[in-house]
Amino acid sequence: MKKLSDLLRKFFGGIDEGLKEASVSLIEKELEETENVFALLTMGFLSGIPSPPTGLVLRLLPYMQREIYVMMLRSKNLDDVFAETAGTFDID
Amino acid sequence: MKTYFFLGKGGVGKTTIAASFGVGTSLDNGNVLVVSLDPAHNLGDAFNSTLSNKIKKISDNLSAVEVDIEKMIKEYLNELAYKMKNTYRYLTTFNLDRYFDILRHSPGIEEYAVLEAIKRFIKLKEFDTIVFDTPPTGITIRVFAMPKLSLLWTDRLIKMRKRILDRRKMVENVKGRFEAKIEGETVVLTSDEKEDDVMQELVRYRAEMEELRNFFSSDNTTVNVVTMPEELALFETKRISESLSEFKIKLRTIFLNKVIQCKKPPEGIKGKIKEQEEVLKKMREEFRGIQIKEIPLLEHSPRGIEELKELYNNYLI
Repeated sequence: MKKLSDLLRKFFGGIDEGLKEASVSLIEKELEETENVFALLTMGFLSGIPSPPTGLVLRLLPYMQREIYVMMLRSKNLDDVFAETAGTFDID
Repeated sequence: MKTYFFLGKGGVGKTTIAASFGVGTSLDNGNVLVVSLDPAHNLGDAFNSTLSNKIKKISDNLSAVEVDIEKMIKEYLNELAYKMKNTYRYLTTFNLDRYFDILRHSPGIEEYAVLEAIKRFIKLKEFDTIVFDTPPTGITIRVFAMPKLSLLWTDRLIKMRKRILDRRKMVENVKGRFEAKIEGETVVLTSDEKEDDVMQELVRYRAEMEELRNFFSSDNTTVNVVTMPEELALFETKRISESLSEFKIKLRTIFLNKVIQCKKPPEGIKGKIKEQEEVLKKMREEFRGIQIKEIPLLEHSPRGIEELKELYNNYLI
């Protein structure tokens, strides 16, 4: 009996997790995209994009590790943009 | 506190005029500091004294300093590298040294350092007047432009940062604390504006730039141009005046230096005197409402407190 209830809990827990994931996955993608653009705008001189005043860039630099990480990751995955987009919108 | 900036291209006598103005003002307007922001310093030569990066007392009410911009940039970047080594502990692949080599020579860093230096001096409470001898015109104009430009950028970035934090909040509401993996390490990210370091730095930077923009266009800040009665110098002065008005900074006085005053000019310089007369005429027409002060070409360049005082009393007052 206990085994069954555990199984059910796990089953519904899984569904709950799945629903949560589905409900925010697009927002998460948008979030990551905005973070990437933010990093490109401010730290873009690293990839040849015009920069805001250097003073401002330097002031933000110590706090941008997450965004720079996202930017680096995005640049690394640039060759697979199509697959990523297809994945985001559930296109097989 | 009153602040005076002296702008102009190299060789027009900017440093001498700024030094002389400092000496004159110190006689009746309290404690005066003359600051040289020009990387090619010769303020010390004007005062007949050796100056350095530290404020030095020249006479009772007069002090002077030559700012070492290169050293300031180096110190600032070192401080930044130290700060980053602590905060960027997860980004091991991020090659700090390589980026700092780029930053040291990146365009705009010199202007930023000059602006930082100005910010530092205008905070000093012990002086009633600060006179700035500025770097070549191009850099100075960009320094004046920086607050307005920075405000445009920060406003856009603050808006965008708000969007990022809003999205984070949405995810947080559903999934709990927002965690991200960076190089295998889990980092908790905030969605609160007050806890977000980037947002806080943007807000702080914005406030500083707004203060500087207001300072540059306030009535207590006077921007003057030192120039010579030559056609090219006239064009440059016009450009300075136009750029300044773009940033709502008013040009107060034009010091026309090295005016040849010769009753019986020799044949060789008659053409030069004619050019001078034409430039003077054009200048008076172009710059109505702006004070123009003529300083003759002197027998020798004034050096030391006494000669600078004489220059002030005879031509600058």
